Amino acid sequence: MKRLLTEARLVLIGIPVAIWTLLPIYHMFLFSISTKEEAFSGELWPAHPTLRNFGIVFREQNYFLNHFWRQFANSLLIAVAVGAITLVVAAGAAFSISRLRTRGGRLVLNCALFTYFIPAAFLAVPMYKAMGTYGLLNTQWALILAMVTIASPYAIWVLKQASDKLPWELDEAARIDGASPLQLFRLVYLPLIAPSLVAVGTYALLLAWNEYLYAFLLLSNDKDITLPVALGHFLSADDSPWELLMTTGLIYALPPAAIYYAFKRYMVTGLTAGAVKS
Amino acid sequence: MAPVSFNNVAKTFGSTEVIRGISFDIRDGEFMVLVGPSGCGKSTLLRMLAGLEEITAGTIAIDGRVVNHVDSKDRDIAMVFQSYALYPHMSVRDNMGFSLRLRRAERSEIDARVMRAARILNLEPYLDRYPRELSGGQRQRVAMGRAIVRDPKVFLFDEPLSNLDAKLRVQMRSEIKALHQRLKTTTVYVTHDQIEAMTMADRIVVMHDGAIEQIGTPLELYDRPDNLFVAQFIGSPAMNVVRGTLRRTGGAAHVETADGVRWPAGSGGVDGQGVAYGVRPDHLELVGGGEPAVPGEIVVVEPTGSETELVVRIGDAQIIVETHGRTTLQPGDTVGFAIDPANVHLFDQASGARLAP
Ligand SMILES: Nc1ncnc2c1ncn2[C@@H]1O[C@H](COP(=O)(O)OP(=O)(O)O)[C@@H](O)[C@H]1O
Ligand SMILES: [Mg+2]
Repeated sequence: MKRLLTEARLVLIGIPVAIWTLLPIYHMFLFSISTKEEAFSGELWPAHPTLRNFGIVFREQNYFLNHFWRQFANSLLIAVAVGAITLVVAAGAAFSISRLRTRGGRLVLNCALFTYFIPAAFLAVPMYKAMGTYGLLNTQWALILAMVTIASPYAIWVLKQASDKLPWELDEAARIDGASPLQLFRLVYLPLIAPSLVAVGTYALLLAWNEYLYAFLLLSNDKDITLPVALGHFLSADDSPWELLMTTGLIYALPPAAIYYAFKRYMVTGLTAGAVKS
Repeated sequence: MAPVSFNNVAKTFGSTEVIRGISFDIRDGEFMVLVGPSGCGKSTLLRMLAGLEEITAGTIAIDGRVVNHVDSKDRDIAMVFQSYALYPHMSVRDNMGFSLRLRRAERSEIDARVMRAARILNLEPYLDRYPRELSGGQRQRVAMGRAIVRDPKVFLFDEPLSNLDAKLRVQMRSEIKALHQRLKTTTVYVTHDQIEAMTMADRIVVMHDGAIEQIGTPLELYDRPDNLFVAQFIGSPAMNVVRGTLRRTGGAAHVETADGVRWPAGSGGVDGQGVAYGVRPDHLELVGGGEPAVPGEIVVVEPTGSETELVVRIGDAQIIVETHGRTTLQPGDTVGFAIDPANVHLFDQASGARLAP
């Protein structure tokens, strides 16, 4: 009886939350299968559902969508690059701070985490200037490096927490077995924190995939920009094709959903690793 | 195979001195056990030998070569950890072959040596399993296998049996001993368990508070402990010790405790000296009346089957007595004990040092 009551309560809380989060997505979905005329009709289901919008987007048959595939590829490339580079940086840093006990490592980590006290938006202008100094403005490297910078502190922190939980004796056994620090890193350390690597890599990848502000600032050429920036351009028209905007948005939301679903297991265990002492 | 020597080895962590200038030699092929209460510095000493801990002062030499500044991997040693420290993501085969792989040995040679070690340790059926799929005893054997494939100069063990249950511990004890008799590799074995030390060692180093109390064969330590600490640490049940004053009159001697009991003693010490008087539980013999005996009252009777352990009140002291066979004695009975002065250990009250003989 008591259990039933708790469950009923959970359902009562759960339903509004689900509606709250799903409603906008449903709205987006409605737009994407409606014609322009029907899009604003306010019906819960369009009278003549259609997949035409998707065809227009895929075939780039709109002024705003001239470079859809190119921009989609940009997003993908940048996200994957950010994920990969963040992994290399974070795994190396976490290994050296946690396992090699490099002097000053903790200080570096704390300084890096300190950057999160400053909203990313405030750092955008300094970042813009820095990229200008290095002559990287309007290149995709600018965005990649900026996103790696933003993702790294958290990634290092998560990996360090996971690393701290590995038993010391493994390192010592490997040292006696004859492993150099690099072999220890490659043959023992990386395989053992693989779940956390997946979580951290995915986190950085999604962060870059969803980024708007930095992409907007650091890239300007139509052929270099990522899809979120391109979507932003829709709004510059007086008569925006909302149904196409929503369709593109929906398509854009699919890869993260797929990635999250695929790595769900690692995301939960990996990102909470070390959050509590077990 | 190689001798090992410690020369004035010291270790400090920050300002705490953990090892206080230790010197001793281990002979080629010897099974040396370091034993002592937990926290006395056994692991630290072993880890210095392994190259896992800096040596603060003094030198350690393996096979005549000072290794103070030699990397672990170049010391030609293998170590078995208390937690086994098996690589969880590698099969038993890969765990055992890891060191050879790092040394870039031929695939065929690695296989051959892993197979040989597996055969010695009865691990052949488990070569393709992962550590998590093995029982405690099997993991323990894999850890040993990883050490023996290397064919190192010295084996190091740090409390390798403490994670096993009592029965398996006894079994692994003899397996390790048998392995040593077969391979004859110099072995340094750390334990806090004096029974393990007694049953396995060629020689034992008894440590206490970062210093050596005594070095000797198990029976030397048992029969002739150099000081009160070793006397009480070695042997189970532990040696009975009472404190009193030595009275030496003519040929006979006894120790008189504050409660007036007179304990028969042998040679050593001078009249009037304050001493600690020690006698092992199996050296008190139950006797009938008549003979000069130490009188006592039975407090507890604990039969173990082949032997009976008695807790006896003698004067103000609680004394443990071990008798062979069974007994009809009951708590409350008064009894007498004979003690052969030859079996008595006398130590100086203040320093704890053994008084001759
Ligand atoms: N890394 C360390 N830092 C500071 N103190 C240590 C360290 N390792 C061991 N000690 C101290 O040194 C002493 C001996 O430790 P250890 O050699 O592990 O003892 P044992 O193995 O005999 O139980 C202990 O008091 C322990 O607290
Ligand atoms: Mg220890």
